[in-house]
Parts: sequence; structure tokens; C-alpha cells
Amino acid sequence: MGKTRVDYKALSTQCKKKKRRTRKRKRKLMEGGGNLDWKIGVMAHAPAREGKKESKKYYQNYIRERGKEEEKIKRTRILVVVIFDELDPKSKRYLRGEGANLEVLRDKKLKGQLSIKEKLYGQSARAAAMAEKWLMHAEHGYLEAEGIEKTWRIKQESILTEVDIISSRKTFDMFLPELGPYKLEYSLSGRHMLVGGRKGHLAMIDMITMDLVKEFQVRETIRDVVFLQNELLFAVAQKKYPYIYNRDGTEIHCLKEHGAPLKLQYLDKYFLLVSINKLGELHYQDVSTGVIVVSYRTGLGRTDVMQTNPYNSVIGLGHSRGKVTMWKPTSSKPLVTMLCHHAPVTAVAFQNGGHLMATASMDRKIKLWDIRKFEVLRNYVGYAQSLDFSQKGLLAMSNGSHIQIWRDSDGNNDYGQYMSHSMVKGYQVGKLRFRPYEDVLGIGHSMGLSCILVPGSGEPNFDTWVANPYETRKQRREKEVHALLDKLQPETIMLDPTKIGAVRPQRKKEKPSKLEVEAAMEAAVEAAKSISFKNKSKGRNKPSKRAKKKEEAVLNAKRSFLELQDDEWPMKKPKLDEVSQLSKSLQRFARKKPS
Amino acid sequence: MAKVEKKKKRQRPILSNSIALASKRKMKGKKIKKVASDVRRRKFGPHLPSSFMKEMGIQKPSPNSSDLTGGEEEEEGEDLYEYEEAIPEEETGKNRRYDAVENYEYELPEEFEDEDVPSDENDDVSVDDGDDAGVDEEEEGEDAGEKHVRMLQSITGLPAEAFEGKGKKNVTLLDVHGDMGPQHVSIYDFLDPLHGKSGYSKLRKRVHQLEREPMAVSAPLPKVEREKLEREVTYAQSKKEITKWEPLVKRNREAPTLLFNEDLDLAVPTVGAIAAEHRPRTEFEKKMAVLLGDPEVLEAHTKDGAKLLELNKISVKDVLDRHNHLAKMRSLFFRHEMKSKHIKKIKSKTYHRILKRGRQKGASAEINMDPEAANELARKQEFKRAEERMTLKHKNSSKWAKRIIKRGLKAQDEGTRAAIAEQLQQHALLTRKMNSMIENSSSDETSDDDSDDFSPGSDREGVSKLLNKAKEKTIKVMEEEEDMPKSGVLSLPFMERSVKRQREAAREEALLALQEYEASLGKHDEKGDEKVPSTAQTSGKRVFGGAKSQPKELSRKPKSPYNSDSESDFEARDGEEEQKIEDRSQQAKIGSLLLPDEALAAQNKICEDLDDIAKIPASKTTYEVAIFASDTWRKIGSENSQDNVKIEPSAAESPVHPNSDNMVHDGNSDSDSETEMVDGFISSVPKSEYELPSQSELIRRAFAADDVEAEFEKDKMDTLNAENHEPEKPALLPGWGQWTHIQQKKGIPSSMIEKHEDEIKKREEALKRRKDANLKNIIISEKIDRKAEKLHAKSLPFPYTSKEVYEQSIRMPIGPDYNPAISIGALNRPAIVKRAGVIVKPIVYEEIDPCSKLDEPKESKKIRQKQNRKKAKVDGRKFAVKS
Repeated sequence: MGKTRVDYKALSTQCKKKKRRTRKRKRKLMEGGGNLDWKIGVMAHAPAREGKKESKKYYQNYIRERGKEEEKIKRTRILVVVIFDELDPKSKRYLRGEGANLEVLRDKKLKGQLSIKEKLYGQSARAAAMAEKWLMHAEHGYLEAEGIEKTWRIKQESILTEVDIISSRKTFDMFLPELGPYKLEYSLSGRHMLVGGRKGHLAMIDMITMDLVKEFQVRETIRDVVFLQNELLFAVAQKKYPYIYNRDGTEIHCLKEHGAPLKLQYLDKYFLLVSINKLGELHYQDVSTGVIVVSYRTGLGRTDVMQTNPYNSVIGLGHSRGKVTMWKPTSSKPLVTMLCHHAPVTAVAFQNGGHLMATASMDRKIKLWDIRKFEVLRNYVGYAQSLDFSQKGLLAMSNGSHIQIWRDSDGNNDYGQYMSHSMVKGYQVGKLRFRPYEDVLGIGHSMGLSCILVPGSGEPNFDTWVANPYETRKQRREKEVHALLDKLQPETIMLDPTKIGAVRPQRKKEKPSKLEVEAAMEAAVEAAKSISFKNKSKGRNKPSKRAKKKEEAVLNAKRSFLELQDDEWPMKKPKLDEVSQLSKSLQRFARKKPS
Repeated sequence: MAKVEKKKKRQRPILSNSIALASKRKMKGKKIKKVASDVRRRKFGPHLPSSFMKEMGIQKPSPNSSDLTGGEEEEEGEDLYEYEEAIPEEETGKNRRYDAVENYEYELPEEFEDEDVPSDENDDVSVDDGDDAGVDEEEEGEDAGEKHVRMLQSITGLPAEAFEGKGKKNVTLLDVHGDMGPQHVSIYDFLDPLHGKSGYSKLRKRVHQLEREPMAVSAPLPKVEREKLEREVTYAQSKKEITKWEPLVKRNREAPTLLFNEDLDLAVPTVGAIAAEHRPRTEFEKKMAVLLGDPEVLEAHTKDGAKLLELNKISVKDVLDRHNHLAKMRSLFFRHEMKSKHIKKIKSKTYHRILKRGRQKGASAEINMDPEAANELARKQEFKRAEERMTLKHKNSSKWAKRIIKRGLKAQDEGTRAAIAEQLQQHALLTRKMNSMIENSSSDETSDDDSDDFSPGSDREGVSKLLNKAKEKTIKVMEEEEDMPKSGVLSLPFMERSVKRQREAAREEALLALQEYEASLGKHDEKGDEKVPSTAQTSGKRVFGGAKSQPKELSRKPKSPYNSDSESDFEARDGEEEQKIEDRSQQAKIGSLLLPDEALAAQNKICEDLDDIAKIPASKTTYEVAIFASDTWRKIGSENSQDNVKIEPSAAESPVHPNSDNMVHDGNSDSDSETEMVDGFISSVPKSEYELPSQSELIRRAFAADDVEAEFEKDKMDTLNAENHEPEKPALLPGWGQWTHIQQKKGIPSSMIEKHEDEIKKREEALKRRKDANLKNIIISEKIDRKAEKLHAKSLPFPYTSKEVYEQSIRMPIGPDYNPAISIGALNRPAIVKRAGVIVKPIVYEEIDPCSKLDEPKESKKIRQKQNRKKAKVDGRKFAVKS
């Protein structure tokens, strides 16, 4: 469904052919199997019924037939193998990287166990690949130009004439001139859109039925809107505080601790509402328990550029000094500080995969970053007030009333222009958002809202366990409970979430543990014991003297370690006696310790 | 029998070996004896005249018969002639050359020997390299030889032995190594006549060869060697035995799960099943079994009951006896009962006392007798004590006692009083052991209370009392503040630090309040006249404060503005000062979450007071303060956020700007503190206020492009310094040698310099190791997230030796959301699957193809195991046969 039925000229016929072929194969397979069984069954009964002579003939026949069948079976096996081979690159993706090199291991037991485990991993990866092959059949299309045609010259109107009715209904322009530049946000499933006008206009729209779920005025400045777990609750950044409303427009909470927020983000797996306020303070609030998890002063000034990295839920902030900082709730200092530009950063966006970041700034530059290596990948010239990555990796950017969509055409992060769209001159585009699971881009601008079709932007196959646009009420309830049960703790947010469970990184100044110190001491003592002394002249070579010397050496060896331990003790020393600290006149008031 | 043994030998060399050894030993007794006698014979052989000897040599009957001489025959001979040497040498045990065991074996019955010997000898010959083959061979029926010997004996009068020895010599003559005796005949004597004939040279060569070979029988190996050999063989054998288990063990070790509940037979045994297995063991049980198993009774049971009745016949006498016995018992019981009833009815206390005493006496005697009873008593007493302590039964807690006490002891008669006293005494007795401790603690408490309640001058006026109370309370609060939370967010080091800071501030306040109190107390006191509140005094009081530097700042700051030049500046600063102080007090409030009202009031008072103090013209201390003022300012500035820092220098340069800046700042901080109050959340970051961008700021922002990078570099350096501290430069030590300039002359000690250099080197290395060392314009924080530490493994889990392998092995999720049903079970199954209570049977041998793969479907495995079990059973049977 997610695919708009645009005649993209691109849904390659080859792909279709391939599918047909595989289907044929499948049918063949099934036929072959069925025939075989049936025939064998008949033959098993046949000889009893007929005469000996006949039966002999029959057996010859049978054997011949049998041979054929076997051949068939062989062929089918080959086919199956071929299918698996086709799946291999896909299944490799599900293997999440190479297995460890077991040849290095010397422990045979571990080796055996790991190889078994590895095999099981392979099995599940293959199963996943199979599932993908058969279940996620829809492919995302894209615009393809012929000859000297350019995709970015194709107008929305021409696309609209080609697409089916349902898809064409997805585009609209809403003219709302009074309540000024609009912010918009889609729910996780892409079904609902939340619209907030600067001057206090709030509306929620069901994008499938195009019903207005709720519309009301808060009579206050609205700076940002964001959906919480589902469409039942949403948060709005208003003039003084962020508020939480339910679908009916009832104010549920006023989050005064956040101060005057400029931007809101919601981390759905952690139930965290993140806000950055006018003072440059970052607040993390757990919306399931209501506790403010943490609040940090960024110390980098006021900013309204905030974006979540969907891969690891790290918050990216763009600052006026050209810096981009990344934050997590358990670190008071930014995880990473990057000097991305030489002028204020205007927009930041992260790709779904989590290793690509786009930044735009006032210095007329748009940069693509590899945030695994923290390197610039591409450097483009241009302004952008708003950036957004789609599920399939298209990058939308707005400048004034002009919108451009870029696409990574050959998979090496070389983004080039793909589409462009111009609003009426004078409109200021405030916010761009791709609608999840649809080929639609939502635009909030100074004179209302618009939606345009962007072929190939949305994920065509949705997983109902992740996000279901056609969710029933029961499913929604069920999912809410499940989400709460599966809630992740804030400390699990880290730059590389795959490192969870891995060995703790070494500390900078690793203090030697008690055991290590003891071991070292023992070794030193042993060494001291094994020292052989020179033969001394008479009197000084007595066994008692030698023993004494040895003892001394051992003591010396021990002492250095004991001193080392002593150094640590003062840290643990209990506080000085309070009584003795007080002046004499006050000592009698001191609380006596129970003896 | 022999055949069977041989067979066994072929099959199992070890066993055969041991058997052979045993037999060898068995034989040895004989052999040794023979050999010994032989040797003796050879050594001390009879010195006969040579003519005799010759004659004997010639008279030797035939090579066949000459072989047949031996112990057996010898013994016979002994029997016949009653030869003295009846006890073999080894039996006498004179020179301890022979094992006792061998002797023992030698004493086995003769028929047994006869059976065994011949066959064993054959073996022995092969095993022992045919040692003294000639000697060993002994057969019965050497009539001719015997007769001859007897004849010789009769003639010469020498013992028969001598002649036998001769016979032996004859044997050796024919032997290849016949090299003994003065006139021995060698093989060459026989060969010489053949000289020149065909095949002679061949024969000769062969003989030479034979000669060259050491034909002498080697002595049996020493015990150590023999055992070593044995061990070798045993090792090889057992190795072979054990290696066959290897594939099995390997399979089990590599298996991801071991299933122990496969052949689960958890049939619950019924009573019948248990009874069926019952075997009579004791006499009684056996008797019962015989009776129960009596066919007659069984028959009677199976048929009707009539026969049972018949069987049930009892004699009249028996019945009578039983009846009588029962009657007797009954009467006895009745009498006993009556007696006890009677005794119980007796109300005489004296009687009971006597009875009790008698009982106790008996008990004490018993206690003296055996320790068990003593133990019992001790336990009983302990129990009683515990009971007493629990119930306080004897501590006037009964209704009766309470009533009496209520009425007053004096009103009672003597008896009651005595009773109460006795009761109390009893209590004391019962709880004697605890008494001392209880007294101690209680006295302590009381004294504590006393000191708390009454010590601070109870006879003063109301005002001073109140003041004192307030003072006490503040002190109490101060003390209470000390205990830090040990867990949770507040236990984090930075939290602790901030809390500490706040506490210090609060403490400051409290101390000031104390001073206040004391000052006012002084006013009330006539004697306290000297205690005029002054800054000097405060400094004196500071001694008992926890923080020593803070109060100085606090007391000085307010005064500093008066010495500054520009009035506007001062105004702003003053305002800020107030702000700061207020902030601090608020912080303190937050820090010590619930201060009592007095303290709050006190704090407010302090603030007012401070204001007052600020308005008093400068005293002596203000002078110094003025000098430090700028310094402190800078410090505060540096503590604040970067933006503040940026503003600072500009403020220093142009006195006009900061005015506006600070004004803005003020307004901001106000609102800030408000928010702070609202959320009640202790922020870890030191207080820093954000300013709205001023005009200049905006302008700077507009033209910021140039110095952004330099700024970032500076930031990076700062963070690097924060995360890897720069080592302090070594400085001259105060103290020794400072006056005499010795230190200056010598310079800083080399060890310190070395240490410093080492630290610098370390730091540089650490900086190089950073992830962002080679990345320009990037700062990657290396701060360790303590909260996330629990999500990591502390160290490499056991079987893993390399981090990479471990991390690769956990890369895949194993939950049901990510895996199909076919692998989810296998991925998550525990290492051992076993139901509780199932007995794990010992491992059974089964044939395994070592090349086979492990991950076969389960069913096949099960089937295979079943088969294997069958096989194993067969194997076991075989083993049983073998052993």
C-alpha cells in the first residue's frame, strides 16, 4: 500500500519478470512434489493387483519413472539452492556482520559451541531473508527521466496526472493565512498529522480519511509540536511552557520545569520528552513516570535546532557558533562536539541508518557527515532553513519558498538533486516532514500547509509490529502496554548501542585492583626470597645473618606495596570527629555517639 | 582349566600377565629352592676321587634319564631316607631372601600344585627365557637313575644329593654351556671328529654363533624395573580403553545443551509396588513372611472364611492367661491413677515443696552424673530466661501485681509485699545474665537526655532560653546535614560535590546565625559584654566551621563595592551580591530539603544582617578585601559559563558596557532562580546564568566567522585539560631550608622534576590515545558514563579469551522477535536440561562417528541414542562375560 501507484516508468519490468519467474518455479516445485507422491503410492499397490508378468513390466516402468522423478527432485533441490544463493546477500544483512574468526580460538569447547551458535544465527538470518523476500514484496519506486529530461523538472501537476486517485488525494494545499507559520509533525505510523500555527492554532488531522480530529486555539505562541507515544497525546511547545494535550484537546499537563521551550523531541522507545528552552537548557522528562530524568545547561546559547538520531536516540543540537553537539541523558557534557560550520547552524537532520547527518548553516553551506568517523562526506553550497531525511534516505531541504529534494542515486552518499518544488513566492517554508510509510512530503509554511508527492520517499512495507497506520483501537491499546513493558532506560542511550553487553571500556587511570596489588606483592616477595647473597667474610656469613638479610629484603619488597595501599586509605578515612572540630564552647552540644 | 587360561591370555594380556606373574611366583619357591640346592651342590660338591668321578660320568645312564632329576624326586628321596634338610631354606627365613608370600604359596595343597605346575611350566619356560631348563624338567618314574643313585650311596656312604648333583653335571655336559668342572667336555670335542666332513664348516659357524650369543640365563629383573614395565603395559592398555570415550566426551563438551530427562520414567510408586518389593530381613519379618506365605492360610483366604476360623483356634489356657494379664494391668493402672489423683489433691505446700526438693535433688544428682542432663538443664534455663524476657511475667505485669501496686505497696500487709519482692527477685534471677547490659544502656540514655535537656543554663531568662534553643536547633540542623545519601542520584560524585557546596553555604548561614544568637545572648548576659559582633570575631569563630575560605569571601564581598571607583559599577555589583546571597540561601534550602522554620528565619535574618553590615562603613578588614576583590571576581567569572567569560574581559576593558550587561544579567538570574525554586531539582552544573543576546553579542554573532575555529580550539584544549589534568608544576617546598635559601640554591629536587616529566609524558600519551586526537574540529568526550557501566561486562566472560570473539558472539539478538521458531529454542536453551529430582545416570559408552556433526535433528538423535543404549547393554553383557 505504501507505494503510490505512480507510473514511475521505473518500476522496472525486469523486476516484475523476475517475480513471475520465481512464481513459476514455485509452482513447478509444488507440482513435482505432488506428482511424485501420488505415483509412488499407486505403484506400491499395483503389483498386488496384477499378474507376475505384468508386474515385472510394471517394475521396469516404475524404475524408469522413479529415475525421472529422482532427477526431478535433484533439479528442485538445485532450484532451492539457487533461491538460497539469491537470498545470501540479503541474509548477510540480517547476520549483522561477520562471525568471529573461530580459528583463532584455542578452546575447543568454546569453538564448538560458537560454531553451533553461528550456524543457528545463519539459520535465522536466512529465515529473515526469506520472510523479506516473500512478505515485503513491494518495492519503492522513483522518478526516472528519459533522455535529456530531468527529474527535477517534473512538476507536481504532471505527477498527479499519472498517479491513481488515492495517491492524488494525498496532496493538498491548505491556505491558513492568519495564524502564521505552521509547524507540523506526523505520528509514528504516519496516519495522523499535528499542525501548530505560530499564533496558537492547533489541529490534528487523520491523513487517511482526511478528517479533522480536533482543532483548537491555545491563544499563545506555539513554537513546536510533537506526538507522544501515539496519537492520543501530543506535546506542544508554547510561549512559557510545554503542554501536553490529549486528542480531544484537553490539557493534560503543563510542564513548567522545562521553561520556555523552543523545540521538542520525543524518544518513543524511552518514553522521554526532550526539550531545549530559551536558556539553552536541555530537559529530559520521562512521560511514563513524569519524572524529569535530567536537565543540562548546554552553555552554548539559545538554539532551536534539535533533532534526534533515530538510530541511537542521541539528541543533536545545532548552535549559533557553528557547533553541533550530541547529547545523551546520562552525560552532562556533550558526547561529541563538532565544529561543522563557521556560522550559526540552521538545521540538522539524521538519516534512519544513523550514520549520516546533514547540517545546514548561514554560511551558505550544506554538509553531509559520516558520524561514525566524524568526517565530512560532501560539501554543498546552498542555504537551507529546514532539513529532513525520509525513510528511504531522500533529503528534503527548504530555502525560503523553494523546496529541493535530493537523492542518493548510486548508493555512495553522493546526493544529487532529485526533485524540486516551489511554493508561491513570498511563502516562507518553516518545516518539512516526510510522512512515514507514504510518498508524501508535508510542508508547513507561513500561509498554511501543503503536501506534495515525492515518489520513493516512504518505506513501502510497514511492519504492523512497529507501526501500523490501520491500527484498531484494540491493537493500539495492546501496543501501548507492550511499549511500556519494553521501555528502555535512559542510560541505554549511547553513541554505539551495539556496544551494550560488550566489555566495559578501559578506564583512563585504572587503579590496580586489590587482587592485582596482592599478586604483584607476592611476586615481589618471591623475587626477594630468591635473591642469593654473596658469600661474606667470616662472621657475616652466619646462617642467622643470612636469614636476617633475606627477611629484610622481603620486608622491603612488601613495604613499597603497603605504602601504595596506604596512599589510598586517606580517601576512605572517616570524617574527623565532629566534636574535636567544634570549638570548646560548642563541644558539649555535640551529639554523643552511642557507645 | 589351562586351556581356558591360555585363551584368556590371548584376549587380555594384562590379566594373563598378572596370572603369569602369580604362577611365576608360585613356581619360584620351588625353583629357587632347586637352584639353591643346585648351586650348593656345585659349589660344595663332594670331593670324590677322580676315578669315581670318571666312573660316574661313564655310568650315566642316558641323556633322557639324566634330565629327569628334580625336587620332587628329591623330596621323595628325603622321605625315604629321612634326610635332614626337611625344611627348605626359604622357610627358615634365615637370610630373608624370600618373600613370605612365596612361602605361603608353596604350602598350597599338593594336588593343586600337581594340577597347575606342568602347564604353567611350559608358559614359564617361554616367559623366563627358559631359565635352567635342564633343572626344571622333572618327571616321575626315573627308576633307573634312582636305583643307580641308591647303589652309589650304599657304596660310598655319601648322601644321595652328591650323586644327584653328579647326574646334573652330566646334564650340563651335554648342554652348550657346559663349562664347569675340571674335565668338562665341550661341544668341540664332539665336533672335532666331524672335521673334514661335509657341512662341518656350517655346523661350526652355527656353533660359533651360538657361543657368541649370551646364553646364560639372566637374573629376573629387579622389582622396580618389573613394575615399571607393568605400568607401561597397563598405561597403554588403559589409554586404549579411555581413548574410545574421547568422541563421546567431545560430543558432550561441544553440545550446546545436555539433555538428561530423555528416558524419563517418573512413575510414582504405589503402595502396592513398594510392598511387592519388600523382602523380609529381620527374624520377625521372616516369621511373618512364612506365616503369610503359608499355603494353608492362603487357601483359606481364597476360599470362604470357615477354614480361617478353624485355623484361628486358640487354647483356653492362653485365653485365660491373657485375660488375667489384662486384668492385672488394668488394676495397676487404676491404682496409679488414684494415687496421682490423691497427690494432686494434696494442698499442703510443705508437702509439695518437699516433693519438689526431692525431685530437684534427684535432678541435680543426675546433672552431676551426666553432662547431657546438664546440657538439657542449661537449655531449659536459657529458654526460661528468654521466655521471661519476652513476657516479663514476673515484673509486676500480672493483674494481681498491678492492682497491688496501684493500691500502693505500703497499704499491703507484709506477706503481699514479700510476695511481690519475691516475684521481682525471681525476675532478677531469671534475667540475671542480661542485667548488666540493660543497666548500662539505660543509664547512658538518661545521661544523654539530661545533658540535652537541662545542661544549657536552665536558670536563665526566657529570651536567652529561646535563643539558646534556636542555637541548639541550628546546630542540630548543621549536624543533620552531614549525613549524605549513600545511594541514588545524590550519591554520584558530582552530585555529592554540589550538595556539599550547598551544604557549606547553608552551614555558613547557620554559623552566622549562631554568631547572631551568641551576640544577642551576649547582650542579654552581663558577662557577655566583650562579645561585640565584629568581623574579627567572626573570623575567630570560623575556626569550627567546616569550610574556612568561604565565609571570608562572604563577609568580605559585600564590603568590596565601597572601595571601587565607579558608582554605577558598585550599584550593579551590590545588586548582584544580594542576588548571590539570596541564591545561596535558596540553594541551601533546597539542599537541606526541609529545614525547620527557625533555621529559615535565621537565614533570612542573616541576609538582612549582611545588608546591615554592608551599610556599616569599612573596618580594618575591608582594606585587604579591596585588594583581593578583583581576584575573586575573576574567579567567579571563570566558574561561570563561557559566555560569561567572554563578557568578563570586555567588562574589564570598558567600564561602560558591563553596566547594561549586568543589568540584563540580573533580570535573567531572577527568573532563573525562580525556575530553580519551582522544579526543586538540584542541577549538577555550577550556577551559570544565560544572558539574552545583547546588541553587541548580536553584532559579534554576525561577524563571528573569523574566530570560531580558534574558539573551538580553545574549547577543545579546555576539555582535554578537564579530562586529562595537566600536572602541576613542581614548586619549592615550604618548610625545611626555606629560610636559609638552601632550597633555592639546590633547586627543586630531581625526583620531583622527574615525576613531573613523567606525568607530562603520560598525559601526552593519553591525549594521543584519544579518539579525537587526529580529528580536527571534533571533541569526543571520554567521560565514563557511570550509569551505563552496568550495561557492559565488567571483564571478559570466562571461556572467552579475546574481546573480539566475545563481541562478535553477542552481536545477534536472541529474542523471539528476531528469530524464527526453529532457532529460537536452540538459541536460548540452557546448557543442561534436567528436571528436578531426575537421577542423572552415568555416561554409557556408545559408538560415535567422530566426524559426525552435532546439530542433527533431535528425533534422530533420540533414536540413535536408543540404539546405542541397546548396543551398550550388549557391550555390558560382554564385559560381564569377560570379567
